[in-house]
Amino acid sequence: MFQSRQGLGKVPRPLTFLLCLNCKTENSRPFKDGDYVFKEVEEKCPKCGEQRMVITGIYVREERQQAR
Amino acid sequence: MQLGAQGDITSLIATLLWLLFFAIFFFYPSFSQRIQLSHMLRDLERKLGRLKQIRDDVRSRTLQVLGGYSERKDLDKELDRLVNSFMIPPESMDPYGVVYKLEHIAVTWEDSFEDMVRELCPKADRERAKTLTNLVEVTRGVDLIYRIVRHFYLMGKKTNNIYLVLQLQMLMPQIMEIAEAYRQASYAFSEGQPIGDGVGVLAVAKLVKDAEKKTYEIAKDTVVHELVFEGRRLLAVRAAGPGGAVGRPGEGVKRLVEAENGRVGAIITVDAGLKLEGEETGKIVEGIGVAIGGIGIDKYKIEEIAKENRIPLYAFVIYESIAEAITPMKESIAKAADKVLEKIKAIIREKVKEGETVIVAGIGNTVGIGMT
Repeated sequence: MFQSRQGLGKVPRPLTFLLCLNCKTENSRPFKDGDYVFKEVEEKCPKCGEQRMVITGIYVREERQQAR
Repeated sequence: MQLGAQGDITSLIATLLWLLFFAIFFFYPSFSQRIQLSHMLRDLERKLGRLKQIRDDVRSRTLQVLGGYSERKDLDKELDRLVNSFMIPPESMDPYGVVYKLEHIAVTWEDSFEDMVRELCPKADRERAKTLTNLVEVTRGVDLIYRIVRHFYLMGKKTNNIYLVLQLQMLMPQIMEIAEAYRQASYAFSEGQPIGDGVGVLAVAKLVKDAEKKTYEIAKDTVVHELVFEGRRLLAVRAAGPGGAVGRPGEGVKRLVEAENGRVGAIITVDAGLKLEGEETGKIVEGIGVAIGGIGIDKYKIEEIAKENRIPLYAFVIYESIAEAITPMKESIAKAADKVLEKIKAIIREKVKEGETVIVAGIGNTVGIGMT
């Protein structure tokens, strides 16, 4: 009773946005368990190589709507 | 000759068929309704199947996540106990004092629910236990939706009540949307991702970030940041993160106003608000009053203390849909937190004089949003 053959849709994955505490460069990567906004993480900055970054945002990127 | 005979037979069959249909519709006036009912029931059965799939998916994810923090072998039975638990609202025949009775019952219910989750998952730290409590609440919510829809479906089928089935069918698109949002919310709470509802907290966290401040707990899961903003004393209230909690902003604001002996220049609330279909997600609107959802206890407390002390109430609302409020935060909502920040600063400069105190309360679930 009450069986559905349709599969469940994919859930959008958020991105984590990090700011380098040294050169202030912002970059993003897929969200990892344990991430939260304003958390200081020990991750290497892709630009200057500094090991300390802060998470400035976690959100799902939206596709820009084309202007009509 | 042969052609003529064939024509007679065809005409006779057509007449008989016509008579048969006429008899059916004449003697059985509700025939078309019966056909319509069976169509609607089939459609509902399909949707109920999908709802069951969503409920099972959320439940299995919850069990899997709880299992990571527990060694209990009867985890599924314990989860059922939590999912089937309930809160009985107070009697409102005599409405005097009903808000405080409701608060007492709601607080007892929330605390005992959280305690049960903590007991079930002893390996989870304080923050994680709060998020796990939210996850179990999501499971409970989607299970309740499934059981209610199933009840009305079976009731309609048993009694052949087309009007009951029709009402349910009309509501199904919105119900399915909410159920799907719950499914997505279960992912967010499993991993501690910020949700759309947290935008108010995010805005207040950004407001006090990098400022010199004193932080302390004012009510359960509710903190206050005390700082000076351009000559005004700013008291920023928010739920303590990054675990999933909404805190008790009503009680927090009430205690702050009492501590200030009512000398507060303004109370500003920032929250996510439901947008109308066709409106832009992340749009910021401002108004007068208290921007707080929920069962109304927090809103009542702030309104009451503000009225008593003649404190103006200003509110900012960030538009989003019900689905966006409980699913992982969208970019437009996250960006709105930065924009509303400037609006809060502007209203403080405009409405609160230098030397006065202003309370800013960021309302919402703080999952995935740390302290600043």
